Amino acid sequence: MSSSRCLRRISQLSLDRAGPSSIAPRCLLTLPQSSTFSTSAARNANPQGKKGSAAPPKRGTRTLNVKKGRKDAGKDAGKKPGPGERKAMRKRIVLSNNNALEVSGLKDLEKENALDGSTEGQMVGIHEDAVDVLRAVEAFKPSQGWSLFRRPATLMRKETTQLAQLLKQVEESEQSTTIRRVLVGEKLNGKSTLLLQGLMMASLREWTVISFPEAQELVNAHTEYAPLPGSNPTQYTQDAYTANLLSQFIKANNKLLLSSPLTTTPSLPHPLPPKPTVKQLADLGVANPEASWPVFTALWTELTQPGRPPILLALDGLSHIMQNSAYMSASTTPIHAHDLTLVRHFIDHLSGAKPLPNGGAVLAATCGSNSPTCEALDFSLQVAEARQGTPDKVPLWNQYKDVDARVMECMKDVEILRIRGLSKDEARVVMEYYAASGMLRARVDDGFVGEKWTLAGMGNIGELEKASVRLRVGAMGYR
Amino acid sequence: MVFIFGVNFPEATLVKRSLETFYGIGPKVSQGIMARFHIFPYAKVGSLKNQQVLDLTAELSEMKIENDLRRQVQDNIRRLKDMGTYRGRRHAMGLPVRGQRTRTQITTARKLNRIERGGQGRVKM
Repeated sequence: MSSSRCLRRISQLSLDRAGPSSIAPRCLLTLPQSSTFSTSAARNANPQGKKGSAAPPKRGTRTLNVKKGRKDAGKDAGKKPGPGERKAMRKRIVLSNNNALEVSGLKDLEKENALDGSTEGQMVGIHEDAVDVLRAVEAFKPSQGWSLFRRPATLMRKETTQLAQLLKQVEESEQSTTIRRVLVGEKLNGKSTLLLQGLMMASLREWTVISFPEAQELVNAHTEYAPLPGSNPTQYTQDAYTANLLSQFIKANNKLLLSSPLTTTPSLPHPLPPKPTVKQLADLGVANPEASWPVFTALWTELTQPGRPPILLALDGLSHIMQNSAYMSASTTPIHAHDLTLVRHFIDHLSGAKPLPNGGAVLAATCGSNSPTCEALDFSLQVAEARQGTPDKVPLWNQYKDVDARVMECMKDVEILRIRGLSKDEARVVMEYYAASGMLRARVDDGFVGEKWTLAGMGNIGELEKASVRLRVGAMGYR
Repeated sequence: MVFIFGVNFPEATLVKRSLETFYGIGPKVSQGIMARFHIFPYAKVGSLKNQQVLDLTAELSEMKIENDLRRQVQDNIRRLKDMGTYRGRRHAMGLPVRGQRTRTQITTARKLNRIERGGQGRVKM
């Protein structure tokens, strides 16, 4: 007999004591069932009554019920996710893990030491303001391991210092300098993270940052488009995307710039308030998506006026914009990505057709996992690499292959920044950080680092993270 | 609800899907129509501008779709039958028209080959 039933019997006993006192109180099981608050005991006592009333099933009725899903068909299958809820979950960025330890001695990257290379080979924290900016421009990707650590931190690797040197060169040069680089490297080698570091350094140095976080979203025809009036050949604007870009611009750029008054008087389809500021101009485009492209051009004109800060233009997933987009022209032919105004704007600056008057940098990262094949781009990157390394051995295009001439043209004198694997010293720094965060429970010594470095394909940082942190966390069922 | 070519569509319907409910419009034709008016493939009916809705309706009213198209197809079949051709007879009998075997596998012919081809009217969404 279960203990709960015992208790019930005892409680009945106390009720019944007032009645027939002749029955021995020791004999618990033979107590008569008299009035109690619960009737379930009495009902449970006679389970036979139910059985007798059930007749055998009639002929022809289905008695074997084995079809899947039948049971749940009538029932409510739980709350369905609302529109956009699943996507929001998929794209959610988690930047902290309360279970990870705080790493003592982790210093933030500051404005002063952002570009001077003194932090090379160290882990640095990302300052809260910079985190806000990077979040606004969607520089953090859901696939990256930010959610494993207490707070966002990043390794200042050799390539980061190279990039910092380039940005420093822009700041220090007398006349305006525009740095144009394509970040190339193997899959999981940290191209998007280097782009993030570039954005971080630029925003710390109070540059204007404009970023296209996913080039695919520009060309996959998920947002509306319209021909630009008076353009020949026809260009296409993307109003919803541009309005979103403007709102990201407002969130990502410093208050000083946004609150500064306009020095130009743009002619726009909608009126500006008197004595407008840069923010009010951008707000106009956010509020009126149909006017967002004229607003964007007006904003660009404003940002390139003398005395404005340098600009960092960044784009991730370059090969998506080096082919036909999924949009269709009026005659049902695919629109080349370069005919979209925003892409055109970026490509003009990447190719150097339009320089940045106040200096700045144009960075484009290729993607290792999500990139459509673009032979012209691959070839151009090979040529660019050969020009930098072995100028006497520049490859030639196979004449019998079709070529996307527009891609070749825009990529013809672009330079690349190749990202290779980490050195063992850098790998050691990262792994010590993992260990200090409590996410790697092992003694980080030369042997261990060497093993993981080798397993990670000679220091591929994504693989290193997989091999040392994610694997263990995954095995514990944490994810 | 948005009124396109005499039919009301809920705002959350894809434009592509709503166009393809009309007899005579399939994937290719709907793609062409949407490209002509610069409507992106994932556009919902609710997000169309008034002008685009009017344009679509005007475009559809110039096309031979729905009952006009049905009538044309049925007239073609009826003509064959009235002339007493083999094809006309096969249509009338609901059998394959183009020399296929009839021993097995003629369900599609049974379904489609008839004088009143294309049904009576618009299938409601």
